[in-house]
Amino acid sequence: MNARRGKPEKAVNGSKAVAVLRLYVAGDAPNSVQAVLNIEAICRDDLGGACDLEIIDVLQHPQRAMAAGVVVTPTLNKDYPLPTAQVVGNLSDKLRVLLAIGIRSPEND
Amino acid sequence: MIDGSLSHALEHVQSELLDKRLSGVLQRLIRGGPEQQAIEAGEIDAIIDYSDSNVILFPAARNALRTVAPGESGREPVANSLLAALTQQEYQRLAPSLESVTLPAEAVLHEPGEPIRFVFFPIDCVISLLPPTVGRRTLEVGLVGFDGMVGTSLALGVNVSSLRARVQIGGTALRVPQARFLSALQESQTLRHELNLYIYAELAAARQTAVCSSFHLIEQRVASRLLMTSARLRSDKFFVIQESLARVLGVRRESITQAAGELQRRRLITYSRGNLRILNRQGLEAASCRCY
Ligand SMILES: [Zn+2]
Repeated sequence: MNARRGKPEKAVNGSKAVAVLRLYVAGDAPNSVQAVLNIEAICRDDLGGACDLEIIDVLQHPQRAMAAGVVVTPTLNKDYPLPTAQVVGNLSDKLRVLLAIGIRSPEND
Repeated sequence: MIDGSLSHALEHVQSELLDKRLSGVLQRLIRGGPEQQAIEAGEIDAIIDYSDSNVILFPAARNALRTVAPGESGREPVANSLLAALTQQEYQRLAPSLESVTLPAEAVLHEPGEPIRFVFFPIDCVISLLPPTVGRRTLEVGLVGFDGMVGTSLALGVNVSSLRARVQIGGTALRVPQARFLSALQESQTLRHELNLYIYAELAAARQTAVCSSFHLIEQRVASRLLMTSARLRSDKFFVIQESLARVLGVRRESITQAAGELQRRRLITYSRGNLRILNRQGLEAASCRCY
């Protein structure tokens, strides 16, 4: 899989809380596929699309992963808003991901 | 080409070397850190060796990637060719929207002029595409099986069918709601590419039907139609009544009885009460007009 950039979407209610997320994966390996599905669901369902998600295949771009301090895949880096945060694993623990992203879901606002 | 056992042995040596490297890199991880925890939970596919910027795959990921590598066999077979062509990631994304349905023979999936609400990916059924006609007689312009999809006009931006899609031979199919199919089409380059090729083939087959129905003999056409059904169904045995063959070929029932009788007399097929079996494929091919 090539690195692919999700379209940054307008946040709900005109707020500018767009999370910039980078997910580092190893091709179509099982945990990587799972992590992609999980983070896409979170972006859609919990962040109301207010996220700029980029998926980076470390098999093709190992240097990018190293530059971002990624040791294992899958790893999710939250680059914005600050502070930055990192979650490793297949992102099946949704609460942990939301906590790391630091943005509450629209329903809980 | 490498001999099977040799390539297997090479693979084994390679994976042993990888495992040795893997354990070396693993020892450098922070004890009890998040990476190590995730590894213990089985949630990690690969680890990056910063000393030489190599990505080392864990054994499970290595095996999985080997089975999804293009041209490699071993991936869990997806029973429809168009879906099987998708990458694992594209397929997994579409998978939640795929609903397995049983389609009985004679069921109509959509009528001409009706909006297409679902697309269907046949697995072991065959669907006949019939343009609107006056009266009972029709002419089949397409036959969709495991290698195709019903509802292709959606991919061309038209959400109304110009054809009747009627189940010719009952079986199972995977169906996807129209909206979900359209978004999958946007997301997946592979699906677009495969569908373009398929629609091209469908168009070519429909054009051939015009030639076939005007110029070829009924017996040849029956042979072609049986071979086509067999190919779409991946089976030498299927159920098809004479009336239905007559309808899709746009001929009288008596003509079918005569043609099928002749093919049977030459021991190319057996045909009794709708149960058809191809006995001699090469012979049937020779007897056909090869429009399939
Ligand atoms: Zn013909």
